[in-house]
Amino acid sequence: MNHTLLRGLAAASTLALAVLPALAQTGNPAGMAPGSADGRPKPPLSGNTTDQLFVKLVGMGNAGEVDAGRLADGKATNASVKAFARLMVQDHSSAGPRLAAAARPLGLAVPTEPDPDQRITRARLEGLQGAAFDSAYLQAQLIDHQKTVLLLEWEIGNGQDPGLQAFAKETLPVVMEHLRHVQELLAEVTGTGPQGLALDRDAPRRR
Amino acid sequence: MTIRTITCLAACASLALVVQADPLPPDLTYRPLPTQPFSDVKRMDEAAKPQVTRRQADLLASRYDLSNRVIPGVMMSGGRKGVQGGVRVKLPEGMTWDKLASLSPEEIRQRNLLPEGFKPLPHVKQATGGQVFPQVQIDHIAKQEQRDLRRFDVDFDLPDHFTPEFPAPIFLTTHTELGDVSRGQALSIRNFYELLNGLVTPVQMEGLRLLLTPFPQEEFNQTEDRKVALQSMGVACLDCHTNFHSNAAFHLTPDVRPQAARFRLDSTSLRGMFNQQIHGSKRSLRSIEDFSEFEQRTAYFNGDHVSATRKGPNLPDRTNQVAMMAQMQNIIDFPPAPKLDWRGRLIADRATAQELAGEKIFNGKGQCAQCHVPQSAFLDHQMHDLRLERFYRTGEVRNDLVMLPDGPIKTFTLRGIKDSPPYLHDGRLLTLADTVEYFNLVLGLKLSAQEKDALTAYLLTL
Repeated sequence: MNHTLLRGLAAASTLALAVLPALAQTGNPAGMAPGSADGRPKPPLSGNTTDQLFVKLVGMGNAGEVDAGRLADGKATNASVKAFARLMVQDHSSAGPRLAAAARPLGLAVPTEPDPDQRITRARLEGLQGAAFDSAYLQAQLIDHQKTVLLLEWEIGNGQDPGLQAFAKETLPVVMEHLRHVQELLAEVTGTGPQGLALDRDAPRRR
Repeated sequence: MTIRTITCLAACASLALVVQADPLPPDLTYRPLPTQPFSDVKRMDEAAKPQVTRRQADLLASRYDLSNRVIPGVMMSGGRKGVQGGVRVKLPEGMTWDKLASLSPEEIRQRNLLPEGFKPLPHVKQATGGQVFPQVQIDHIAKQEQRDLRRFDVDFDLPDHFTPEFPAPIFLTTHTELGDVSRGQALSIRNFYELLNGLVTPVQMEGLRLLLTPFPQEEFNQTEDRKVALQSMGVACLDCHTNFHSNAAFHLTPDVRPQAARFRLDSTSLRGMFNQQIHGSKRSLRSIEDFSEFEQRTAYFNGDHVSATRKGPNLPDRTNQVAMMAQMQNIIDFPPAPKLDWRGRLIADRATAQELAGEKIFNGKGQCAQCHVPQSAFLDHQMHDLRLERFYRTGEVRNDLVMLPDGPIKTFTLRGIKDSPPYLHDGRLLTLADTVEYFNLVLGLKLSAQEKDALTAYLLTL
């Protein structure tokens, strides 16, 4: 056995030991993504592909929410939709720094630009007015929040960094609440019955 | 409409069709391949085990009174194990059951008053999931077959007194005159022929052999994806459904992704399969043939033919094997219920006044018989959505389980129910008294303490 291989093995086992405490609570080592403890040279604490992708996707989504919220705050005609847009700006503006704080120990930077889908949606929303805008904004919000719920669940189940997992756990109920809010507003704006989490609420009594 | 508008609309439509962003991660649906050496995985899992075990024990202790308190004079059908009594779900500080039942779902949710024990019960280790067997089953199979069902990453979590008696008695529809034919033993690939020779047909015997034949799958296989120390000989259908009943082994639902949202499933009893028209708590498979075939196909409850194929799938032949597995399951009877007539109604002169009062509530104020129809083996062959999520904040996480609405779940039979703890599809309720409190709240029944006791007494007669 040559010396390079020995050194490699020693490095790999040190790295595995270093990673151990972080994994102890929740993970499923057998299912972990490549890059977590494979001994390849990399900067310390750079995270792994799951946590990296999570920070990237959720970071972009969050930026897109703030961006779309600002647009809707200016353009929405329905007062409830406007109020929701302001809430989105507020909640997602505060989520950004929390995500950044959770990602910092891993040396991961949080993207500040919306994801490509959100940019396309934004371009489309800019061309719409009045009720058509309100409805299209809510539809886009529905899809964004559905995706965000999945991403947070993914990090809770498949992520490896306890700090990011804690961020996901604490954020998920808030995003669920946003989702319910969108579903309620969609029912109000489109005139159909409530769906999804909006069903949880006691039905409004009709006069 | 001007040409310009039409052009613009066409451009917008084509824009919308082009997906620019990356799709969501693939392991939201698919299980990732193992990427680390087995020895490292095992070492990490074993190092984490004490903490995993403690975390689950803490959760159980915070939710339930786990003490061993049997109902005097009430035994399970084999006469070997007592039935636990009393409400075991703990109430929030300063709350009473009556006070709780007087609040609206909205208020209970907002004030976070739903007892933790009414919420979905997490798997011991959600991120990994998979089958977890009680120690009695592990010991039985180790002794009989020298096959290892012991996982190195997790242990079974519930105290032994909240599981069905082991081994459970076996009642055959073809030999009701004999009563329990198990001879006090648990069926295995070693002893099944001797135990049932002369009692079943060649077809049924072959079905039984297949149901007892282990196939490497799930956490019990020969690859580095396993959670047993040595390469495994596999698992068999009746490793969970010991003697065609349940041993309270649990798993995660096959029907939900992502992994964090898969709820726990308590093994169901196979008794009375002949009267059950839909199978699987979420899948509504239309025959036990479909169910038996498909569970072999997708690796015992993982809903994952991709991973199953990698470990070596078993594809039983529909006409020559599946039919026999089904025919064996279809002769397993419910335990005798001497107080019930052919309609599933209490025989008045055999029942106590309290049991009769309980039956009246079951069919009336309690609304139980709306779904658990006495004449149809206490089934309605439907799935229903109780919408428990009205009472708690969706998206809360308990031991890595994301608590989402359960949605419609199959109605389970209540025949022989005292033999089948724990209760509900995930086993979140430990006693029948717990189930009465649960439904009293969820259905808004407003039963009195006396009515609840009567209903519990009635359930014990089934």
